[in-house]
Formats: sequence, structure tokens, C-alpha cells
Amino acid sequence: MLDPLVALWRQLTRGLKRLVRPQDVDRDLADEVSHFLDQATRANIAAGMNPDDARRAAHLALGNRTTIEEGVRMAFWENTVSSVITDIKYAVRMLGRSPVFTIVVVAVISLGTGAVTTIFSAVNAFVLRPLSGVADPEHLVGIDRIEPGEAGGTQATGPYHRFISARTRTLSGVGAYGKLDLTISTGGAGQAVYANIVSGNFFSILGVRPALGRFFLPSEDSVPSAHPVVVVSYDFWRRHLNADSALVGSIVSVNGHPYTLIGVAPPDFRGTQTPLVTSAWVPLMMQPQLRPRADMNSVSGSFLWQFGRLKEGMDRETARRELVALTAERAAEGVEPPWMKKNSEIRLISMTGLPDDAQKVMLAFTSALLAAAFLVLLIASVNVGAMLSARAMVRRHEMAIRIALGAARSRLVRQLLTETLVLFLLGAFGGIAIALAATRALEGLPLPMVIPMALDLSLDLPVLGFALLTSLVTGVVFGLAPALRVARQDINSRLRDDSRTGTGRRSLVSNGLVIGQMALSLVLLVSAGLLLRALDRGNRVDPGFDSAGVLTTTLKPEAWGYDETRARTFYQDLRNRTEAIPGVTQVSYTARLPLQLGSSNVIVELDGGPPLNTEGPGGGTRIQMEIVDAGYFATLKIPLVLGRDFAQTDGAAAPRVAIVNETFVKKLWPDGVALGKGFVLYKERVTVVGVVRDAKYASLTESTPALAYFPIAQQWRPEHAMLVRSGTVGAEGALVTAIRDAVAALDPALPVPAVVTLKDATGYVLFPQQVTALVAGALGILGLILATVGLYGIISYSVSRRSREIGVRMALGARAGDVERMIVREGMKLATYGVLTGLVLAAGAAQLIGAYLYGVSPLDAPTFIGMSAVFVIVALLASWLPARRAAAASPLVALREG
Amino acid sequence: MDQPKPTNTDVIQGTLDMLILKALSLEPMHGFGTARRIEDISRGVFKVNPGSLIVAFQRMERDGLIDAEWRQTENSRRAKFYTLTRAGRKRLGEETADWARRTAAVARLLRTEG
Repeated sequence: MLDPLVALWRQLTRGLKRLVRPQDVDRDLADEVSHFLDQATRANIAAGMNPDDARRAAHLALGNRTTIEEGVRMAFWENTVSSVITDIKYAVRMLGRSPVFTIVVVAVISLGTGAVTTIFSAVNAFVLRPLSGVADPEHLVGIDRIEPGEAGGTQATGPYHRFISARTRTLSGVGAYGKLDLTISTGGAGQAVYANIVSGNFFSILGVRPALGRFFLPSEDSVPSAHPVVVVSYDFWRRHLNADSALVGSIVSVNGHPYTLIGVAPPDFRGTQTPLVTSAWVPLMMQPQLRPRADMNSVSGSFLWQFGRLKEGMDRETARRELVALTAERAAEGVEPPWMKKNSEIRLISMTGLPDDAQKVMLAFTSALLAAAFLVLLIASVNVGAMLSARAMVRRHEMAIRIALGAARSRLVRQLLTETLVLFLLGAFGGIAIALAATRALEGLPLPMVIPMALDLSLDLPVLGFALLTSLVTGVVFGLAPALRVARQDINSRLRDDSRTGTGRRSLVSNGLVIGQMALSLVLLVSAGLLLRALDRGNRVDPGFDSAGVLTTTLKPEAWGYDETRARTFYQDLRNRTEAIPGVTQVSYTARLPLQLGSSNVIVELDGGPPLNTEGPGGGTRIQMEIVDAGYFATLKIPLVLGRDFAQTDGAAAPRVAIVNETFVKKLWPDGVALGKGFVLYKERVTVVGVVRDAKYASLTESTPALAYFPIAQQWRPEHAMLVRSGTVGAEGALVTAIRDAVAALDPALPVPAVVTLKDATGYVLFPQQVTALVAGALGILGLILATVGLYGIISYSVSRRSREIGVRMALGARAGDVERMIVREGMKLATYGVLTGLVLAAGAAQLIGAYLYGVSPLDAPTFIGMSAVFVIVALLASWLPARRAAAASPLVALREG
Repeated sequence: MDQPKPTNTDVIQGTLDMLILKALSLEPMHGFGTARRIEDISRGVFKVNPGSLIVAFQRMERDGLIDAEWRQTENSRRAKFYTLTRAGRKRLGEETADWARRTAAVARLLRTEG
């Protein structure tokens, strides 16, 4: 039974020895052959021959020594390996002999691969890569409770979570987490952080072990409000706790309450909501203290996301069916409200940090960018293909000689293919280097987000594999054709004439390649141009309010441990102090800043409208709502058309009032009378006291909804965004410190608020357009450069092949100008075809990005004409340079060389 | 690979390994000795091509059928001696049985035709 092992061992060692020390093996073989000859000669002498004849006969019998050595060499596996090594060595030597060609080709491939790899690393980071720092992530599933046939659903309530968690047999545990704003302090001003309120099994189901201290105990997960403990992220510990391990076990202030810091999460675990930065975790049992408006015992208070770990050997579908059955069982108990019972379906998703809908959006978005990057790679590859073909033409003489000398065609194909693969491999490394630099730059981009985000675009194994695979596949696809063509050529004709004129088919192919390249890069340029126009249009859309000169800061009193009474007093005091700051002209609050892509709808019973139907669907009127404080319209310069603004007298105890927008009146009260009318909201009568001009609320592209504003004092929300208008636009920066001081003066334990301009805070409504325009623009310019190089190359090549014809023409009296015009005309013909094809393709591609265009027509004439013009100018330049060179050449030289 | 013109009958295709194994089963030998032995036993019917023999030795050594050992000869040159291994002996048994079955079958076939 050992024998096969012995054989394997010998195969390996003998083969390796031959690869590593071929001279030793050759000497052994020579010795063996010599010994054979000796013996044969001696035998011949013994048989009666004289020594000379004996030796000659022995040699004759043995045959050619080289043939024997060759026979031994060819017989074993290492022969293949060593011939591949030889191929690679030869390829490297050949490429080293034309360094300019090699550098250009590698650079072009690097740019293409780099573009694709960069975008792919974003796809990987957002959609593909599982959560980092957790054990066995492929068995983790996010649990979404959804309405059948709908994308959306509901988060889990505390009772629902406990119900599922106690009964599942397919999951080894069900964890839950909800969002939480915390202020953590070790004395002095606190740190405002994003955190999660989590079930006790949160870390154990994820399979995360603490870097320091411990995670939650079962007792900390069972008694409400009894165990104030907190776990912080490694990053938070390092940045804000000075990486002091002595702090583990000590008391820190969390939202103003004393909490024991029990542990620090490991550095590679960045929470379950990446790229959101989660800095701390507290047990669900502390909900009454830290998130008082959520209720872990309410059957309708859904604020938890759930996830679970599949038991060994359990598949998702089985688990999903069990959870659907459990959900039905729970609904049948009859305690859940009707709207929640409708969510009877379960969707299990991979845990990548993003919720399912965001995963889909990001996938669509990044796939579109990836498609654009692949276009660039395609252009680059076509370019390289053309260059390889041209080089193959130059080398056909060399190849013909090698074939004539007996080289097998398959061997030549392999050789040429090896050269191509070496080029593409070098290109892959270059591309990875470019992607490294580009992702580093992207990570550093300031994100216009209110919540801290950290992008991690690091190139992990899948990304590197993707880069190498992409490169090798394109290498084979675009390198095989030129290699095959060279090997298939007819040697005799190649050796006889040097083929001064290209065959029609070949130039047709390369012309086609150049036209294709130009068309594709025009598609990229037009798309980038359209997106830039859209960005410009978006920046100039009148949002209906004036953000210039306005500062804003978001305040979260719940995260400081304030109750409603304390928060109301705080807001009033802060308003008074801020209004007293010199240079401030207006101060107000809003529950939500405009242009944050979020909106709230309520159903009201409108005067003159259909009655509200409390049971089942239908009835009532759906309106959109915003909650603002007195002075909001003046601060944002939204004109009051009729009636009055909210006033301090519209307090919690006063009669309910609302202010509506013009669209509200136009759509819902066609008689135009609004003041004094009203509706019933939450069983209370609300009277309309004013009408304001329409504005943009959630996004710049929305169609204006019927919207009502309510005073914040009557529809209490703890979170306020303060709006501060500076008397002089441009001078608002000077107010930032004063506003911070005002907050600190009221309570020195509060975190230092982030004060930003309203322009910045609303800027991220255009962020997707900015990113897309940036990426598409970069890709478009890259494409343009590559296509120009391609056109320049093909014209230069054509000029060099027609040098004899040009010489003849000039000898016959053609002037330099004539020659230049002739050649430029040839280039422009290609460019025209390229532009025409490109325009057609671009018109198609523009339809695909129509959704991002902010009302710019997908067939926007200025963009199409402008980009074509850029293209024509560049093409003119790319063909004029070789033309000038051709015309400058002396006809004598051209004729002699030709 | 190389097909030299045989002066005597060449070894029957595919039987060289078996003949080498048989020769080495008698005693450990070097290359020429093996060739000589095969020619002697076959009374000169089979002539072993030295090139094929040396390639075959290399292959069989790697397959673990024979062991190779360098020895000093009397005139102080290096000579490679080959010994049958246990695996080689087993293989010889299998090939002998297989050969006997084949030749018997061929003989029967020829008889019916005659």
C-alpha cells in the first residue's frame, strides 16, 4: 500500500531535481550512457573485434546520444513545466526588447483593470462582502418581516422578538438590535455616538469575542433597567478613551446616567450596520432609560432588527418557512394591531451591513458604474488587441523564419499567447496598484452624512481574484486572435514578399476596432456630460427656501437623558441665548431638515373630504406633514401667502393649528378658501391659520405634495434641528463657536454639537449625482485618452505602411499639404463613423441613466453636440500628428525604405 | 519518438518493461547487462534499442518498480545498477499472467483460421 506513495515521491523529487539542478541529472545520464558504451565495446572485443571496430560498432548500436538525452527529457512531467518557464523567460526577453511597446500596453491594461477593480471593490464592500469580525458569516441571516408581495415591512417589536426567539428550531438563536443615540462621557463634554440597543445574545450569535473585558450576561438580559452596562467599539476605546484598559470595569456616563463599561469589542468588528459607524452597545433591558419613546413590551412598538444563525445543516428555505409559520402563530394570538398582522411574510437576507432595500439600490447603482468601468476595460483591451496585431505584423518575418526552421505552429501560438499573458499579468498588477490608490482616495472623500460613516474598500481576496481573472480572461480573448493569425500565415508568401500593402480584410478589422473604441468612449463621455448637466441643474433648482447664510445643528435630548419637560425648557433657553448672539437675525427649530429624502404621511379627516375610516383601508385624506417651530418660514425665507405664522402662544395646551402649502389648497380645497377650515388629526380638531408658498421637501425631483406644517410644541418630537440665520451671508462661520458655547453654557456635560451650514446639510441630496458624475467623468476621460491613443496608433501604422505610396505621390509633385490632407481625411473618416455609432449607442445608454438626470433630457442636444465636438477635435489632432510627420519625410528616404 | 531501423527483430511493442523486469528478477544488473541478457535469453531474436532501454529505466525507477544505485566499477568509473523492488516483482507477476492469457488467445485465433 506504500508503493504508490513511493512512486509519487520519486516522481516529485526526481522531477524537481531536474528542474532545479539539470546539470547533475545530465551528468548522471551521460555517465550511464558512457558506461553502456564501455560495456558494449568490451563485449565486442571479447567477441573478437579489434578495439577501433568494437568502439565504432558500439556507437552505431547506441545511436545518437542527443536523441537519448532528448528522449529522457521529454518523457516526464517536468518537461512541460520547464518549457512553460522557457516560454515565460523568452516572452520577458522579447518584451524587454521593445520597452516602449511593453510600457504602453501594460499602462493601458493597468488603466482598464484598475477602473474595473476600483468599482468592483465598491460593489464588494457594499453588497457582496459579509460582515467583518463575525464567525462563520455565511450561516448568519437577517430576518425581515414583510408584507407579501411588497418590498417593505415592519421592524420587530419586543414581544414578537421574544416569541420567535423562544420557539425557533431552525436557528440556534435570534438576536435583535435597534438604533440608539448615546452621549458617552468620562467627565467633561460627552461624545455623541451612534449605538445599538441589543438583545443579550447579540454578540454570542454573531460569534464575536471581546478584545477586553466581557460582553452581556444572561442576568443583564432579563431584568428591566437593573443592569446599566455598556460595551464600546475598539475604535471608540482607542480614540476617546485613550486605549486605557484600566477603564474597563469603571463607571462612565451614558446619557447622563452612570453605566459600567464592561467590555471592548475586537478591532475587526464594526457593528452590524456597516458602513455606519456603531460605537457602543447596551442591553435591550435598558430601553426604558435610554430609548424611552420605544417600548420593548409594546405590541405595536416596532424598533428592532432581527437576525439569526442557521443551525448546522439547516438551509435558509426551511428556516424561512418555520419563521413564516411562527409569525402566523403569533398573529393568531390576536394581540398585534391589524397593520402589523398584514406583514405575514419573512425574507431572509445575507448580513452585509445594509438592509435589503439598500442592498438592492447599491447593487443597481454600483453595477451601473461597473458596467461603465467594463466599457473602459473593453476600450483598453481593444486597443491592446490592435497593438498586438500590429506587433504581430511586424514580427511575421521572425515567425516565418521560425516556422521554416521547423518550429511547430502550436508552439508559436503558445509562445505568442505567453507573451500576451505576461503583458496582461503585469497589467493586472498595475491595475491593482491603481485600484489601491483610487480606493484609498475614495475612502478619504468627505461624506455629506449627518451620521458618521466609514467606508472600507480594502482590496480583499475576492477583489484581487477578480482583478487577476478579469485580466487573464481579456488577455486570452484579445491575445489569441493575433497569435493564431501569425501562426496560420503562409510562410512562403511571407518570406518572399514583405507585404507592403495590408490586405483589405485586416485593415477592415483594425479600422472596425478603432471605430468601436471611439464609439464606446463617446458613450462614456456623453453619459458623464449628461450627469454633469444634471448636477448643474440640480444645484440651480429653486428649492423654495433660502439656505444661504443659515447654520444648523441637530440636537438629541433623549441621548442626554432629558425628559420632555427638561428638553422643552432647554430648547426655549437655547433659542433665547442664540437670538442674543450678535449677528443672528432669526432662530427656529424643525423636527427634520429639508431635502433629507425622508417624508411623513398622515391620514386626516378633511373638512369637505371623505370621512375617516378607522377599520380597514380607504377613507380619509392622505397628506404630508412637517413639524416646525415659530419663525421657521422667516428663517428659511419661505413667503407667507395668507394668514399668520406659528407663535409662542401655539403651545401644548392651546387649540391645535396648522399652516398648509399652496398645493394643499389647490388640490384639496378648490374653492381657494383655507383659513379657518381644518381637519381632524389624531382625533383632534386642527385649524388652518396660514398658507405658505410651495417648496421642495424631501428631494429636488419630487412633485410637490399637499403638505401641512404643525407647531413643534403641539406635535412633540424630542429631536430638533436648530436653524440660525446670520444677518450677513458669508459671515455665518463666525457664529459656529458662539452657538457651541450657548449649548455648553446650558449644560457642560452635553456633547459638542456639530454645527454646519444648511447648504452642506442639504447637499447630500445630490450626492449620488456627484459620485456618478465624478466616476463617469473619470472613466469618460480615460476612455477618450485610450481611444485617441488607438486612433493615433492606427493612423501612424497606416502611414508607415503607405510610406512608399506617399513617396511616389510626393515624387510626382504632391505637396506636403496634399499628403497631410489625405491622411487627416482618412483619420476623420474613422472618427466620423466612430462618432455616429457612438451617438446612437449613447442615446440608448442615456435612457438607462434617465432616472438620475433631474429633468435634463436624455437626448440633451448641447451635451451630445459638445461631446462630439470634443471628440472630433481630439481625433483631428490624433491624425494630424502622424500626417505631418509623413508629409515631412523626404520622398527619397520613403522610396528607399519602402 | 525515435524509430531506428532494426537490424534484428525489435522488441515487441509494449513488452520492453516486462522483459526488463524479467531480466532484473534474475539478478541486479546495469544497463548493458540487461540488454545483453534479454538478447541472450531470446537467442538473439530480440534486439534492445539502448536509447529506449535507458528511458525505460528512468521511467520504471520513478514508478518504483526498480531501484537504481550508483556503484564504482573495477576501472573506477560510475555505473548504475538496477534492482527489482517488491512493487516491480508484483508487476512482473501481473504482466506475465496477462501476457500468457493474450498469447494463448492469439494462438487460439490463429489455429481456428488455419
